[in-house]
Amino acid sequence: MRLHLKFAAAAAVALFGAAFAHPAGAAECGTDRKIDIAEMGWPSAAALARIHAIILEKGYGCSVELVPGDTVPTLAAMVSKGEPALAPELWPNASKEAWEKGLADGKVVNLGPAIAEGLVQGWYIPTYVAEAHPDLKSVEDLPKFASLFADPDDPAKGRFVSCPPGWACEIMDANFFKAYGLGETFNLFSPGSAGALDATISQAFLRQEPIVFYYWGPTAMMGRFDMTRLEMAPFDAAKFACIGDPACANPEKTDFIVPDAVKATASWLPQEAPAIAEYLGKVSLTNAEVGRMLVWGEENKADAQAVAENFLKTEEAIWSKWVSAEVAEAVKASLN
Amino acid sequence: MFPEVFDTAPLRRAIDDGLDWVIANWGAGFETAAWPLQWTLNMIERGLLATPWWAVIAVLVGLAFASTRRLGLPLLVLAALLFLGVLELWEDSIKTMALMLTATLGAIVISIPLGVLMSGYPGFRRIVTPVLDLMQTLPSFVYLIPAVMVFGPGRVPAVLATIIYAAPPLMRLTDLGIRLVDPDVLEAGWSFGMTKGQRLIKIQVPLALPTIFAGINQTTMMSLSMVVIASMIGAGGLGYQVLQGIGRLEVSRGLIAGLGIVALAIVFDRVTQAFGRRLQRRIGTTETRP
Repeated sequence: MRLHLKFAAAAAVALFGAAFAHPAGAAECGTDRKIDIAEMGWPSAAALARIHAIILEKGYGCSVELVPGDTVPTLAAMVSKGEPALAPELWPNASKEAWEKGLADGKVVNLGPAIAEGLVQGWYIPTYVAEAHPDLKSVEDLPKFASLFADPDDPAKGRFVSCPPGWACEIMDANFFKAYGLGETFNLFSPGSAGALDATISQAFLRQEPIVFYYWGPTAMMGRFDMTRLEMAPFDAAKFACIGDPACANPEKTDFIVPDAVKATASWLPQEAPAIAEYLGKVSLTNAEVGRMLVWGEENKADAQAVAENFLKTEEAIWSKWVSAEVAEAVKASLN
Repeated sequence: MFPEVFDTAPLRRAIDDGLDWVIANWGAGFETAAWPLQWTLNMIERGLLATPWWAVIAVLVGLAFASTRRLGLPLLVLAALLFLGVLELWEDSIKTMALMLTATLGAIVISIPLGVLMSGYPGFRRIVTPVLDLMQTLPSFVYLIPAVMVFGPGRVPAVLATIIYAAPPLMRLTDLGIRLVDPDVLEAGWSFGMTKGQRLIKIQVPLALPTIFAGINQTTMMSLSMVVIASMIGAGGLGYQVLQGIGRLEVSRGLIAGLGIVALAIVFDRVTQAFGRRLQRRIGTTETRP
C-alpha cells in the first residue's frame, strides 16, 4: 500500500512537473528580448511569419510577437530603428538604396533568400485576352487597347490596376506609367488594399472580362487564374533604381527586376541570438513548396495561422532540416 | 478549446463557391441595377469639378449664412474651404464631397420612408431593428470585398457601403421623431376629421422634422467617417490620401488629408445643424431658456 502511494505520489509529481516543464529548447533562444516578427499583407509572407513564430516560440522558447507590416513601412522601420526584429519575406528591390544603406550602416542583416527561385513580377493580362488579341504582346501596345480595358468611372480611358499604397509595386507602377507614357490613354487605379486587389482581379476572371494589372508570384491567384505577362523593355539596373524611387524625376523604360525575397533581420538578432540567426539562415522554400502551401490555404479557406500549422504538420521533411532534433520534437509536441 | 461540433471548411467553401457563381452569372445584372447610383455620383462629381472653385465656396458660404443669418458660421466655412484649396486638396475634397452627398441622398431616399413605416407598424419595426443593428455593427470589409467582386472596385461599392453604414441613424431618428409627436396634437387632428395619411403628412412629419434633421446630420457625419474605408476599395478622394500617408509612412500627407476630412465635416455638420435649429424655431419647438 505504501509503495503504491509513493508510486502514485511520484507519478503525480512527474505529471505535474511535466505540465509546467519548459519546451526542450528553452535555453536555446539565446536572448530574453522579445522578437517581433513582421506579418505582412500577402499570404506567403503571413504564413512564413506564423511558421517562424511557432518554431521560435515552441521550439526555441523565445518570446515572440507578431506585428503588422508591409514592404515600404517595414523596410523603413528596420533601416531607421532596427524594428521589427524579423521580416520573413522582404522585397527590397524597390527601395534598393535605402536597403543598401541599412546594410552598410549595420542596421539590418540579410540572411539570404526566403524563396529560393521562381519569383516573378510584372504586368499581366488574362490569357483569354492574350489569345483573343494576339497583337497585344507588350506594354508598348497598351495605348492602342485602351478601349478594351475601359475604366468604368471614365470610359474614355483605360484602367490599369496597380497596388495598394505601402507596397513597393505602387511606386514602381506609377513610375512605369510615366516612363511608358500611359498617362493620356490610361488611368492608374489603386485598389486600396490587398483584398480589393484580389477581388478586382477575381471579378474580371470570373466574368471573363479584360483587365490589365500588376501581379507577382508565387501566389495562390497565379495558381488559380491563367495569366500572361506583358513584355517590357530590356532590364537595365540603373534605370530600374530610379523606378523604385518615389521622387524619380525622369523614369525611363525598363523591365521589372527579377524579384528578390529575402529574410531580413535587425542587426541585434544575429549578435544576441546566434542560434536563431543560424536557424533563419537555413530557412528556404522553393516555388513549388510555397505553391503547395498557398493552394492548400485557398482550398481549405485557411488563415495564415492554419496554413502555418498545416505546413508544420505535413511538411516535416522540409522544416526539420532547418532545426535540431530537440527543437523539432518540441515544435511537433506543441502542435498536438 | 471549444469542442469541434462539425468541420466548418465545407460550409465555408460552399459559401465561397456560391459567391463565385453569383458573380459569374448575376454580376452584370447587379452592375446594371446599380447604374442609377453610378449616374448620380458621376453627375454630382462632374458638376462640382466643372464649377469654378470660387462658385463652390460662394454657394457653401451662402448656405451657411442662410442657415444662421450671422457672420460666425459663414466665416468658419470660408476658412475651412480655403484650407482645403491652399493645401492642394481641392480635387480630392470634391471627390469625397460627391461621394458623401450621393451616399447621404441615397440614405435619405431609403431611410425616411422606411422610418415612417417603422413608426406606423410596430411589427415592421420589430423586424427591421435587428437588421439595422446588423448594418451598423457588421465590419464593413465583410460586405465590401464581395461588393467589389460584384460591382467592381471604385465608387459604387463605396457608396453602397456608406449607405449601409449611414442609413440606420436616420431611420431610427425618423421613427423616433414621428412616434414622439405630442399625442394631444394628433388627437386634435383626429377630432377635426383628418385621415391617417393627412395626419402623417400635415402633423407628424412637420413636427418630427427637427429630429429628422438631426438624423440627416448624423448620416452626413457617418458618411464622412467611412471615407478612409471607402478608399481601401478604390474610391479615391481624401481617404486615399490618408491611406497613402499610412502606407508610405508619409505622416504629413496623412495628417493634412485627415485635417481636410475634419474641415469638410465641420462645414457640413454646422450647416445641417444650423438648418435644423432654424426649422425648430420656425415651428416653435425650440427649448425655452429660463
